[in-house]
Amino acid sequence: MPKKKSRRGDNDAGLTITSMMDMMTIILVFLLKSYSTEDISVAASDDLQIPVSTSVKPPKLAVNVVVSRKDIVVDGAWVLDLEQVIDEETGDEQTAVPEDKKRGQLVSDLYDALLEKAENAKDLGVRTGNADFEFKGEVLLQCDRRLPFSVIREVMFTAGQAQFGNFRFVVIKGSD
Amino acid sequence: MSKGKRGEQAEELDLVPIMNLVTILIPFLLMASSFVSLAVIDSTLPAIGAPQESSDDQEETLSLSIAVTDEGFTVMGNDTALKSKDEEGEEPGPNVPCKQLGCPGPEAYDTKELTRLLGELKDRWPDEENVILVPEPDVEYEVLIRTMDAARNDPNNTSGGKARELFPYVVIAGGAE
Repeated sequence: MPKKKSRRGDNDAGLTITSMMDMMTIILVFLLKSYSTEDISVAASDDLQIPVSTSVKPPKLAVNVVVSRKDIVVDGAWVLDLEQVIDEETGDEQTAVPEDKKRGQLVSDLYDALLEKAENAKDLGVRTGNADFEFKGEVLLQCDRRLPFSVIREVMFTAGQAQFGNFRFVVIKGSD
Repeated sequence: MSKGKRGEQAEELDLVPIMNLVTILIPFLLMASSFVSLAVIDSTLPAIGAPQESSDDQEETLSLSIAVTDEGFTVMGNDTALKSKDEEGEEPGPNVPCKQLGCPGPEAYDTKELTRLLGELKDRWPDEENVILVPEPDVEYEVLIRTMDAARNDPNNTSGGKARELFPYVVIAGGAE
């Protein structure tokens, strides 16, 4: 306090920001340390709840297919909407691909979108001649945990037809 | 520095630009930092084509598969422990049934028992690493993930500090309609 007074006398009323600087430096270091540029990002919402798994395998960049309870999105571009149907046996509501959007198990719109991605990726691999860019048929699947397997199967089948045979299911790292 | 202080001529360090920088960096990093870390589970499509004919002189493999139904897990394979139950005549039920009848939710599936059973199989077939999942169409995706977790490693059997690996290579088969 007496120090402040003397300062005021000098017409130099500076803020004592030393403690704040200390705090900020610590926060900055902590945040920089926890800052990680992950190859994939998940926009979790009510319709997209990623399941928790004990897997520890780090994600790698690949074509990103997001299957929420509402729609299917490939690399950020909307592909088609899903519908809610009532199961006749149990009476529960379940997500399903609309009947008019698929041929057998093949989801036509998703097939077209993925095929284009595959062609582009192959083209890139040929043009660069770099093994890193070679087409490996990898696809990242972000699916809502409440989806029935029938939807997942149709998505997997469609991806398989579009030359994507290596699936990576995106999960949240957790102990349970 | 001490020299300057002694002379009382020292200019105070101008921290304002640094403060500006730090105040901008902190909100940005707070926004970008993710407190949820992600992982992936690898899986491949089953090979398309007729099943390979197994000849007698070929070494017998376990060819383990797990059917996931609304009653529980049914583990199938070439192991004697799994076969004995099939020969009882009647329709064999799931050998790892749900904790509650009708499997009301993902929690009801007895993944601990599944891990234990797979651990037993791994004891007899130490070289096997593959498992085929055959889920029913209305099985929830979360159950699938839990099954894969249960089949991958055994957290209760930690030899050498790491959970014991069971069957880490999962293939998901289409299953019957």
